[in-house]
Amino acid sequence: MNRWRRSVDEIQARKRQVTECERALEALCKVTACFQQMAISIGSNSDGSFLREEMDETRALAHRICTGLHRRLVPLLTERATEPGQEDRLQVERLWVIFLTGLENLQQDLHKASDLIDRFPLKQRNDRRALVNTGASDGVIGVSARAASVQTPWLAVEVEQNPDLKTHITQIDALVKEMLQKVSIPFWAVEATQEAWVEGAQSQDTAHDQDETLEEMMVVSQDDQMSGCCQPLNCKLGCMFCLST
Amino acid sequence: MTIRNVRDHGQRFRPRMACLKKVEAVMLEMQDPKTGVKSQPQKLVITTIPHAITGEDVVTWLANRYTIEAEEAWALGTMLVAFGYIYPLQDHKRLVIKPDTALYRFQTPYFWPAQQWPVEDTDYAIYLAKRNIRKKGVLEMHEQEQYNGLHKWMNHKWDFIVMQAKEQYRAGKERKKPDRAVFDCQERAYWVVHRPPPGTVSAMDYGLERMVDPNAEEKETSDFFRRIMIFTQQSIMRPRVKSSVSIGALVKYSITCNKHDPFLAPCLPSNPWVTDDVTYWLLNMANVDIPTKMRVERWTFSFGELLSDPRGRDDFRLFLKKEFSGENLAFWEACEDLKWGTAATMNEKAQQVYKTFLARGAPRWINIDGKTMEVTVKGLKHPHRYVLDAAQTHIFMLMKKDSYGRYLKSPVFKDTQKRAIGPDQHRFSVSQLEANARKRRPSISPIIVRQQEKEERARMATSGPVDITQVMSKLSNKGKEVPPPKK
Repeated sequence: MNRWRRSVDEIQARKRQVTECERALEALCKVTACFQQMAISIGSNSDGSFLREEMDETRALAHRICTGLHRRLVPLLTERATEPGQEDRLQVERLWVIFLTGLENLQQDLHKASDLIDRFPLKQRNDRRALVNTGASDGVIGVSARAASVQTPWLAVEVEQNPDLKTHITQIDALVKEMLQKVSIPFWAVEATQEAWVEGAQSQDTAHDQDETLEEMMVVSQDDQMSGCCQPLNCKLGCMFCLST
Repeated sequence: MTIRNVRDHGQRFRPRMACLKKVEAVMLEMQDPKTGVKSQPQKLVITTIPHAITGEDVVTWLANRYTIEAEEAWALGTMLVAFGYIYPLQDHKRLVIKPDTALYRFQTPYFWPAQQWPVEDTDYAIYLAKRNIRKKGVLEMHEQEQYNGLHKWMNHKWDFIVMQAKEQYRAGKERKKPDRAVFDCQERAYWVVHRPPPGTVSAMDYGLERMVDPNAEEKETSDFFRRIMIFTQQSIMRPRVKSSVSIGALVKYSITCNKHDPFLAPCLPSNPWVTDDVTYWLLNMANVDIPTKMRVERWTFSFGELLSDPRGRDDFRLFLKKEFSGENLAFWEACEDLKWGTAATMNEKAQQVYKTFLARGAPRWINIDGKTMEVTVKGLKHPHRYVLDAAQTHIFMLMKKDSYGRYLKSPVFKDTQKRAIGPDQHRFSVSQLEANARKRRPSISPIIVRQQEKEERARMATSGPVDITQVMSKLSNKGKEVPPPKK
């Protein structure tokens, strides 16, 4: 009787851990996406100390999520393949593959960011002149707020030191190596749950429709150019007229 | 867990991209508010986006900065666009710089091409998924093909890809509208450079990857100096030619081959790499019946040219058959076969050659001088790949001095010359060029080509009263290829 109850408890605990990990993975995706958005502005005219600080904070967040996930996923996978609670083995392997891919993605972005930060140091004043004029303006506030809004169960609980960029990179390298050594599962056996092309067919909210005009905005000016008007001034007026018809 | 044979994080060096460091220096100079390229705001319907530059401003700036001609500045500007440092705002698929008021913008450093990082397919998959979300499934043809391909072989990562695409899409929406437009343009330009749609020429074709950084200085160890010493010793020992003679030879070569160089003279009917029309290749295939005029003209340049062109060699063989002196060419081809063939068949081939051409009373005895014959026969006791070299050179010179001249005056050659075709130059309109680009298809698979050749060989072998000339030459000609792999 006791043994039965223990295994039920184990199953429930395991299920809880797996859902925690799933949510953490979604959070990791969110944070890496935000980090990438910020990294895109490095070296451009919208670069600045504010951007770099926000990037550091996002990176620290990502670090905490990664270490927490690592601490939870590895025992889930290295447990003996006994009957109670192992039906979700497939799901856990899937999470493992997603985590590894996410880590690699983050690793790549960190390398790029580190390289760019080295190339565009902001220490002296005339360094600002060397920033590339890309036409972007400061816009990372929303992005960093989005990153900061991420929730994971262990975020508030486990406080660790935030590593600086170079140490972070070496830590992730070591993490990936260790993970590949400890757990050996065939990644290519994992099948995706998503079918192809599904994400495009899902219904979107009204904000999505505004996006279409962005693309069309670009196209309109292109059509005008092809119609042969040579003066940009004329194009401007033409644009307005084109859109009204 | 992308498979990486070498966990290098950047130590793989892509050779032709060593110039990127210099390009980046140029880009940074262009940013200077006083001495850089003038920028203007781009007025769109809803908003204004700063930092648009015109093509003519870029070209003028380059011409002034480096004191070069306008044409060269134009070529340099096109290179900047082809590498992806500047992207066009209109007509984004053509990576050229138009020296007029066409608008461009600088690419953000995150999207600059990097020598150290290969462009990952995972990122491309995420981009395509994002585009799919945004355009609700309406992607271009080549994007759809790529998407399906990536979905198949990256299936294990696909959940991550879709999740990340959704998150990146939502993160992108957090930015202000003009920034979002700029980012979309930047990302699209990045992928046009690194995964060019059909019909786009980008500069990212970089060949093999190397393990050595071409930019790095070599360490001066004793081995380094030893190599320098060997090199200088060898150059001292080399036979020297007067520079007037060698320069004269170069000039003569340039004058003769000027009209045949596809870079300097237009390729007739059109250069397939430029117009995507393969008529040129079809007209110049190895087994074509009627060669082109340019090809026939090349045969008159030198005997080597005639022999190295398979169609020319066929013509020469026909001429020799009429003169009943085909054994020279057959011997030469047998020697080539021995040189380039597989090691397993070498002994056998060498013996065959001896029996057919060199032995006393052989069926196709060739006439070489006594000394060469002695050396060759002695070498054949222990045959190796180059054992027939001396004899081959002798026969080559014989054919060159004797038969070649007669061939050029012969009715066979004159007839071929008369029948040769001179195709007109294609004139394609822009829409036709695009249609050509869409219709591009890979050529016949080499497996099928090999099968066809095998069939032809079999046919030649079984055809009627065996003309030894044809059989020997065709066999030794075709035998150059590697035999098909064993099952």
